[in-house]
Amino acid sequence: MAESHTGQRGAANGSRLRWRLERRAEVSWQASVLARAAAVFFALVLAGIVIRLSGMPVASLAGRALQQTLGTRYGIGQVAIVATPLVMTGLSVGLCMKMRLWNIGAEGQLLLGAWAATAIGIHAHGPAPVVLALMLLAGALAGAAWMAVPALASAWWNVSEVITTLLLNSVAVLLVNHYCIGPWRDQLVRGAAVSYRVPYELPELTGGGLHLGMLIPLLIAVLLAVSLRQTKWGYEISIIGRNRRTAEYAGMPLARHILLVMLLSGGIAGLAGAIELAAVTHRLSGWISSDYGYLGILVAGLANGSPLAMLPFGILFAVLLNAGIVLKTQGLPLNSVTAVTGVILLFAAIGEVATRYRITRKALAEDAGGSDTADPSGTSAQRVCGVLDET
Amino acid sequence: MESLAFAVAGSAIAAGAAIAIVALGELLAEKTGVLNLGLEGTMLMGAVSAFIVVNEFVPNAFAGLTAAVLAGALMGAVFAMSVVVFKANQPLCGLAMNFVGAGLSGLIGAPYAAQPTAARFQPIRIPVLGHLPLIGDAFFNQTLLVYFAYLVLPAFIYWLLHRTRHGLSIQAAGEDPAAADAAGIHVDRLRFLYATVGGALAGVGGAYLTLALTPAWTEGVTAGRGWIALALVIFAGWRPFGAVAGALIFGAVTSVGFIGQLRDWPVPSAYLSMLPYLGTLGLMFVPFLLRSRVRRRLKTEPSALGVPYSREEAGG
Repeated sequence: MAESHTGQRGAANGSRLRWRLERRAEVSWQASVLARAAAVFFALVLAGIVIRLSGMPVASLAGRALQQTLGTRYGIGQVAIVATPLVMTGLSVGLCMKMRLWNIGAEGQLLLGAWAATAIGIHAHGPAPVVLALMLLAGALAGAAWMAVPALASAWWNVSEVITTLLLNSVAVLLVNHYCIGPWRDQLVRGAAVSYRVPYELPELTGGGLHLGMLIPLLIAVLLAVSLRQTKWGYEISIIGRNRRTAEYAGMPLARHILLVMLLSGGIAGLAGAIELAAVTHRLSGWISSDYGYLGILVAGLANGSPLAMLPFGILFAVLLNAGIVLKTQGLPLNSVTAVTGVILLFAAIGEVATRYRITRKALAEDAGGSDTADPSGTSAQRVCGVLDET
Repeated sequence: MESLAFAVAGSAIAAGAAIAIVALGELLAEKTGVLNLGLEGTMLMGAVSAFIVVNEFVPNAFAGLTAAVLAGALMGAVFAMSVVVFKANQPLCGLAMNFVGAGLSGLIGAPYAAQPTAARFQPIRIPVLGHLPLIGDAFFNQTLLVYFAYLVLPAFIYWLLHRTRHGLSIQAAGEDPAAADAAGIHVDRLRFLYATVGGALAGVGGAYLTLALTPAWTEGVTAGRGWIALALVIFAGWRPFGAVAGALIFGAVTSVGFIGQLRDWPVPSAYLSMLPYLGTLGLMFVPFLLRSRVRRRLKTEPSALGVPYSREEAGG
């Protein structure tokens, strides 16, 4: 049997007990949840040890961070505000991930979305609901447009979308900064290069910072979850994600799917930027995105591309970010949060592999190999998985 | 006009060197089948380690370089541990290393921001050639790392890959790991080794920034160079001298923008600053604009790039 290998040779004589590492036919969701919880836990423990070694009181810092992010109404509002763009960029990156494409450019698409929304907000005049709808639409279109070159290149020529999407991030930052320093600079704001204030705001829901835009990521998550699971489109996406060659043999329109998914992904990230601008910052600036686009990769990575799982992981990273802001006042630099998020992702990626195996201890009969064939259905399922996973 | 051209050439060579080194290291790793998206973070760790050692402990550029090699190799080894030993998803782990590198370098480098480097690599003028009119300064009066980046390293890697048995093993590990394994090549050992070497060279690229090019430490001093190096490997079709040529083109585009800013060209400086990124984006398309026969010959992406290898799954 090629699927498993022996961890430890058992004792001699008759009852040979062996620890075995076996590949699972299907990963249970409990194992996935457990692996991710463990990744977060161990990353935080590691961070705690480092903080402790640098001579800071870990327990009181952690207590303060928790209290100020989740212990107050204001703190929870702030978490929701940060979670909104994180879930959106997570959905954006995750959608591409379903086809094994990497959108590293959500940061740039988000910035372009905010840029386009600002352009509309500054120049258009009309009833607030109409202008706001236009701003959001422009944001989504701008995000998709920013994705157009990488999408076309990937669909037609198979040019690495990792690089093309990422390079455009730097261009987007320069473009937004140019507008904030130049044409749109509000001279009345001293000391910071920000644009004029956009007079149209997304309405608040209940006070405490909760705004209407927060419903949009929920809506998109549900829409994506349903269409990925229930429609022909979603089915074809999942096949392409598992094995492109199979999909091609089956006659699926590969280029069209790649194009659509990437443009959609860019649109979602762009929409995130427009929401951020219309509901939270109201002014364009070079720092409108607190690395939301890059953190979206973390969210999507931990959620493994599943739209509904973006919600808890988006909230998790929002808590981490806000805890970082709280701890900054205690002398812990924000960069430590960046490093910790990286460690979480690393551990999660390793944990993801661990969930694919299980450790069993079996007494092997003398006719070795007998127990291996005990579950023929499982074995064939493993074969199928093996075939589908190879790309 | 002539002096402008040679000024561009000189600064192009200097600017491209960092990327050439990083790209060549990544090329080796990719030849064994490992794709490391974490170069940017690894470069940052190299850059900050070199700077701290030079400014805090030993004011000698080579001490800084050694520190950068170690820091880069450590980052590479952590990455290799995740993707070669644990077989975790390569793009995800690479991205994770970027976060780790960006965060950690910002953290330990914070006290040193905006300080000048205490010791830097000085230009070495090559005898005779360095005194040639016009081209002498541009080509033969550069720092040691520049000669390393454009001559020593690519030649060595070319020789290693195409003239040695070991190089064949490297390519086999990246092309068909199962067959390589069957032939007695230790696929994972090679992959671990060269992912670590790639990390070390990314560290050198970072050190070049803080010890020669910039020369100072600021957060995010790499400004996307790690990513550009990744792009150059693809542009080069996994050929050492192709990567060097790409680095020179990148350097030239960067310097044109830089000189444009100095001379007040009537273009907003933001657009000039976009040139390196847009230029690199353009380079990505070059292989596809060539005629298909040439393209097939040039495009030699390792077949198993980014695919973890484990015996049990390959057996099927």
